[in-house]
Amino acid sequence: MSRSIAYTSSPLLASRTPVWRSKLIVAAIALAFLGLAGRAVYIQVIANDFFQKQGEVRFARTLALPANRGRVLDRNGLILASSIPAPSIWAIPEDVERDKVRLTQLAKLLDMPLSELNKRLENEDKSFVWLKRQVDESVGQEIAALRLKGVYQRKEYKRQYPEGEAAAHVVGFTNVEDIGQEGIELAFNKELGGRSGSRRVIKDRLGRVVEDVGEQIAPVDGQDLQLSVDSKVQFVAYQKLREAVLLHKAKAGSVVVLDAITGEVLALANYPSYVPDKRQSLTGAQLRNRAITDTFEPGSVMKPFTVGLALEMGRITPLSLIDTGTGRLTITGSTISDTHANGVLTAEGVIQKSSNVGTAKLAMQMQPREMWELFSQAGFGQKPKISFPGAVSGKLRPYKTWRPIEQATMSYGYGLSASLFQMARSYTVFSHDGQLIPATMLKSAEPAVGVTVLSPRTAGQIRKMLQMAAGPGGTGQKAQTIGYSVGGKSGTAYKQIGKGYGSAGNRKYRGWFVGMAPIEQPRVIVAVMIDEPSAGQYYGGAVAAPVFSEVVQQTLRMMGVQPDMAVVPQIVAKAEEESL
Amino acid sequence: MIRINLMLLLAVLASALYLVNVQYESRRLYTELDRARAESRRLETDKERLQVEKRAQATPARVERLAKLRLQMRTTTPAITHYMGDVPGALPMVAGGMP
Repeated sequence: MSRSIAYTSSPLLASRTPVWRSKLIVAAIALAFLGLAGRAVYIQVIANDFFQKQGEVRFARTLALPANRGRVLDRNGLILASSIPAPSIWAIPEDVERDKVRLTQLAKLLDMPLSELNKRLENEDKSFVWLKRQVDESVGQEIAALRLKGVYQRKEYKRQYPEGEAAAHVVGFTNVEDIGQEGIELAFNKELGGRSGSRRVIKDRLGRVVEDVGEQIAPVDGQDLQLSVDSKVQFVAYQKLREAVLLHKAKAGSVVVLDAITGEVLALANYPSYVPDKRQSLTGAQLRNRAITDTFEPGSVMKPFTVGLALEMGRITPLSLIDTGTGRLTITGSTISDTHANGVLTAEGVIQKSSNVGTAKLAMQMQPREMWELFSQAGFGQKPKISFPGAVSGKLRPYKTWRPIEQATMSYGYGLSASLFQMARSYTVFSHDGQLIPATMLKSAEPAVGVTVLSPRTAGQIRKMLQMAAGPGGTGQKAQTIGYSVGGKSGTAYKQIGKGYGSAGNRKYRGWFVGMAPIEQPRVIVAVMIDEPSAGQYYGGAVAAPVFSEVVQQTLRMMGVQPDMAVVPQIVAKAEEESL
Repeated sequence: MIRINLMLLLAVLASALYLVNVQYESRRLYTELDRARAESRRLETDKERLQVEKRAQATPARVERLAKLRLQMRTTTPAITHYMGDVPGALPMVAGGMP
């Protein structure tokens, strides 16, 4: 038998529900609504920061506005360095589609073997890996066209150096972050590099910018920098230097071309050099800006200063006679010698024949202090005030420590050291009527204001001697050019090997030449140095002077300087009738 | 009274809809402007890139190589240069060939 309950007749229904129970429910619900309302007020009015921020994170973006790095221009406004867009390719390894065909294409575009690409994508823990930085823009577009998942691009800029290795040491280069590492790029990094700006925008679902919010910080582009360098002169100087270094099987070489009027550096080249865009296998030897960082004993290049000082002090005239005897002179036990016995020479002849004994005899009539003052005024032992990294001061010891023999050797350039650049600049004393002028890497319009070191008359007399030294009977005859009168002094030295200068047959040399042209009113100063020529010839007059000659010839032609000497014309007048 | 209220309600609705429309339009135009700006920047960098490329094609190294190899030219010297005086009628400084 089954028991059933008749709900309709439940005894519970019979009892009356107390009123307070329904009131309690109503109150509870009202309280809950009050709670909701309170919460809503709290979220929307009182503490809305958090939620507003969260919202903004989802649709507001800060976009970086990259600043362009300034260009480096030569004196005629030609580009020496400029930034161009070069996308960098990166990937999230775990997101990358393992599509063999397209990955092979990608590897080909990235110019790397597929195995290398796979190796980079192997590490799935990483959420970011560079595949290749700074590829060409066209390559970037092709990669984008592959539409490979997990492979992205970042917009970056790459420095481009059209002049390549010819101007590498002047311009220098930047690293992958666009920060200057060498040369002008380093020296003027602050001016060239701009300040990037930013803007805050609201993007819609499709990633389109729909509104600007807040203030926009405009990017400040880097300034363009106009150098004093003339890219054509630079190229000629580099080309002729390279030819000479290769011809003489030398280790290295440098050339400096200065404008004798404004003190501007027209060219500064070193060999070996490098291509600034391709720096994978760069060696220290290539990187070295020898013209500025390497110092050596200036040797005979100093003789004009000693003679100039003697002239200035009225001790001699250009035609005073100096007895160099058999070409040997002993001072406190040490012997100075000339390569030939020159007998009695005029002061001019001392420079022309490059007599060590004659110069030392002149030095013996002077105080060490006087020589030291002249040398320092000419910039020796002083760091050149040039905006260039790594410029060295060379060595010039204080005169109080000079012994007599040192004073004698210093008069012809041994016992002190200087860079090729310092030597070139010191010759502005002779070219600029006795004034040493500051050298500059930046283009300047007005003639330089210099410091008077010698009188214009003495400077003129020395110029004449320099001309003789580069003329018949002088040591630097190979410096002659067609049409332009030149003057200059060559130098040759044994290089130190360990403690000594090496034994005969095992010696290393350095040959150099510093000169100017046209000699009456010099327009350019050119200094050339060839390090360790090993093909038989090693005298500065033989290895460096020919480079000087060619560089002067081309530079003056490009500057539009009219020849000051008569030349035998080789123009073959061809009187052909023009057809009408 | 009700009529005025109804009219005001309609006016509010109309203006609200118009506001939505204007907002939409302004965002669309802004997107367009932004795209145009990006395009102008891209063209600017393109110009820069092409300038560098042009310059790379005209470096002294390349010009000289082409002049020497393809055009068989050679470097001038004062010996084969005829210099003209600055003053009209003045004699040239350096004797040359026939003018």
